[in-house]
Amino acid sequence: MKATIFFPLVLVALSVSGSLQAANLFAGQDRAANVCAQCHGIHKPAAGAPFPSLAGRDAAYLKEALKQYRSKKRVSEIMNAIAGSLRDNDIDDLVAYYSKLKP
Amino acid sequence: MKIIKKTINQTILSSAISLLLTASNLYAADHEAKDTQKAHEGVNAHKLFEENCASCHGSDHGGFIAPALNAATLKGRSPTALRTIIMTGSFDTLMPPFYGKLSDTEIRALVQHLQTTPKLPNPAWTINDMKASLKIYADESKLPTKPTYQLGSLDDLIGVAARGKYGRGEGSKAVFINSKTHQKIGEIKTGTAAHIIDYNPVNQRWAYIKTDTAEIFKVDLYTMQAVRSIKTGYNGPGLGVSRDGKYIMAGSFVPHNAVILDANTLEPLKTFELEGVDPDGKMVSSDSGMIIGTPFADIFAIALENAGQVWVVDLKGDFPVTKITDVGRHLHDAFLTHKGRKLMIAAYDDSKVTAIDLQERKIIKKLDAGCVPHLGGGAAVKVDGRTLGFGTNFGSCDKTVVSVWDLDKMEVVKQIPVLGGTESPAAHANAPYVAVDIISKDRRARAVQLIDKKTLEVVKTLDVGGHAYFPEYSADGKFLYISAGYSGDEVVVYDSVSLKKVASIPMESPAGIFSHGRVKYMTRGLLPDEMVK
Ligand code: HEC
Ligand code: HEC
Repeated sequence: MKATIFFPLVLVALSVSGSLQAANLFAGQDRAANVCAQCHGIHKPAAGAPFPSLAGRDAAYLKEALKQYRSKKRVSEIMNAIAGSLRDNDIDDLVAYYSKLKP
Repeated sequence: MKIIKKTINQTILSSAISLLLTASNLYAADHEAKDTQKAHEGVNAHKLFEENCASCHGSDHGGFIAPALNAATLKGRSPTALRTIIMTGSFDTLMPPFYGKLSDTEIRALVQHLQTTPKLPNPAWTINDMKASLKIYADESKLPTKPTYQLGSLDDLIGVAARGKYGRGEGSKAVFINSKTHQKIGEIKTGTAAHIIDYNPVNQRWAYIKTDTAEIFKVDLYTMQAVRSIKTGYNGPGLGVSRDGKYIMAGSFVPHNAVILDANTLEPLKTFELEGVDPDGKMVSSDSGMIIGTPFADIFAIALENAGQVWVVDLKGDFPVTKITDVGRHLHDAFLTHKGRKLMIAAYDDSKVTAIDLQERKIIKKLDAGCVPHLGGGAAVKVDGRTLGFGTNFGSCDKTVVSVWDLDKMEVVKQIPVLGGTESPAAHANAPYVAVDIISKDRRARAVQLIDKKTLEVVKTLDVGGHAYFPEYSADGKFLYISAGYSGDEVVVYDSVSLKKVASIPMESPAGIFSHGRVKYMTRGLLPDEMVK
């Protein structure tokens, strides 16, 4: 039984396909909450956790970092695996969300 | 907190993991299975497990708030997949990522250790171990005589068990909030995750915090500091305070015992071995379920989960016990009604809630209760002359419902369909809705649903975020507090009538929320006079 229909957020996330130009904050928020927050947290990582903070960071830097992880130019076992499945617009959404967030 | 000693749901976990595995073949090499042994020399995997994992998975490897990890439960599982789970954690659950916290060698050693270690026998934790663990942090005679902060009534305090991502360390604390201004007043570091917060019903300055690893802290709310602590076992959530504020009773999963403490000094007075004949006629040693002090009498009631018994302990002499047997299979938590004379207790495996008369000390009736009832402290409301009890339950059925019982007639009034499994209801005499947290393992976990007290229909679904659970009203009923737990990392506050979000309080992995007002209204949703004799 799937109850996703109850959440407008999901519909937004699903409707974002490769054709959209502008970054989608809600899609970014959704993916950040479901995946990235596990390590990076939303506003900050957990106390004593060895992960860099993402909230409020420079958008261009975050974007470049994710693209480099995706192409394995920047090497990190974990981040190469995670960024490997991100499409360009996923990266845009995530970067838009995290860079605008107050740490 | 949902206790998952027996049930392991692997769907979400395995999909998150396979996502990682297919995203990269870095993890794919299974060669490590062969040449593990020599690589791990010098790593003390047992110690690593005790220090990083046992508070959630059980120091006996038998599971607690996380699944059992031992040779039997992990038989045939791919070491690579297990390594990946430990590195990345399991998304949307309490399982944190240990990448960077533990080295690759340590993680490999842990996997091997877990796959070769059987569930350990119940370790002992005697009254002498407890006595030796008593710690004193402050000279209570020198404490100020009133709060060091401005607050109309201490009942306006709300305590939140902020677990911390890793269930231990810097992130683990109990946070106290002014529920009128939604500002933090103080926090108490608890070492391992705070699990339960209870308040002294007579002397309002004292609170008691029980952690995942069964330490109990006595907390001075006036100065927001821990004054004493004692370790009562290895784990187990059971904690109650007697109506006269003189005694605390705590019970453990590991080992199978319970203890009565002096609420003032935390000194242990008497321990109880939990064992008995279960409803199927077998003699079993038992986990401790809920423990409750009642405004009705100088007693504690304690549930023996596996033995299916409720023991009533009189707070006099040598603390004699009356045993009520055959209450139900796998008992868990409970709530009080009828001025504390009647106890409604959940039986997971029977999908029933059993009503017990604490005066007669016998079973009144077993009521239908949805699948795997988890009462989460319970809720009861008075509407149109009836007293209605609300029962949450977290089993996965085709039809997920919240049960409503008429507590005078002891019969089912309605089973209200809700989005998914539920764990904890909140109600307040002044608030129009009963809130229930949806905890099904998918996006539904973000939701809290509101049931109208009069129509008994779901009228609204809040998209709280994170894993939304443990709703709790402020003592005046004006605000609804909800933990957006797991990675949500905030407590969200709603206006209890308009249901508009009014505040967010950042916090690492918040879980249980406990209003100081609870000392006044016995069961959430009832008026304070409900407990006056
Ligand atoms: C399982 C843990 C984990 C998850 C999940 C995760 N990351 Fe990371 N992330 C890391 C680690 C570890 C690093 C440091 C890697 C390194 O040394 O370059 C990192 C680094 C980064 C950096 C570079 C930061 C800097 O300061 O250079 C960015 C950007 C980033 N992650 C974004 C994300 C995004 C976006 C997501 C979600 C799609 C995500 N991460 C999910 C563990 C994780
Ligand atoms: C804060 C609590 C917590 C801590 C600490 C914790 N875990 Fe977990 N762990 C969980 C939960 C909850 C699950 C269940 C996840 C799920 O259902 O997807 C889990 C799942 C797992 C699993 C998968 C079990 C299975 O049968 O699929 C493994 C393996 C595991 N943990 C290992 C560890 C190890 C090793 C440590 C210590 C280094 C550890 N955990 C520490 C909460 C915790």
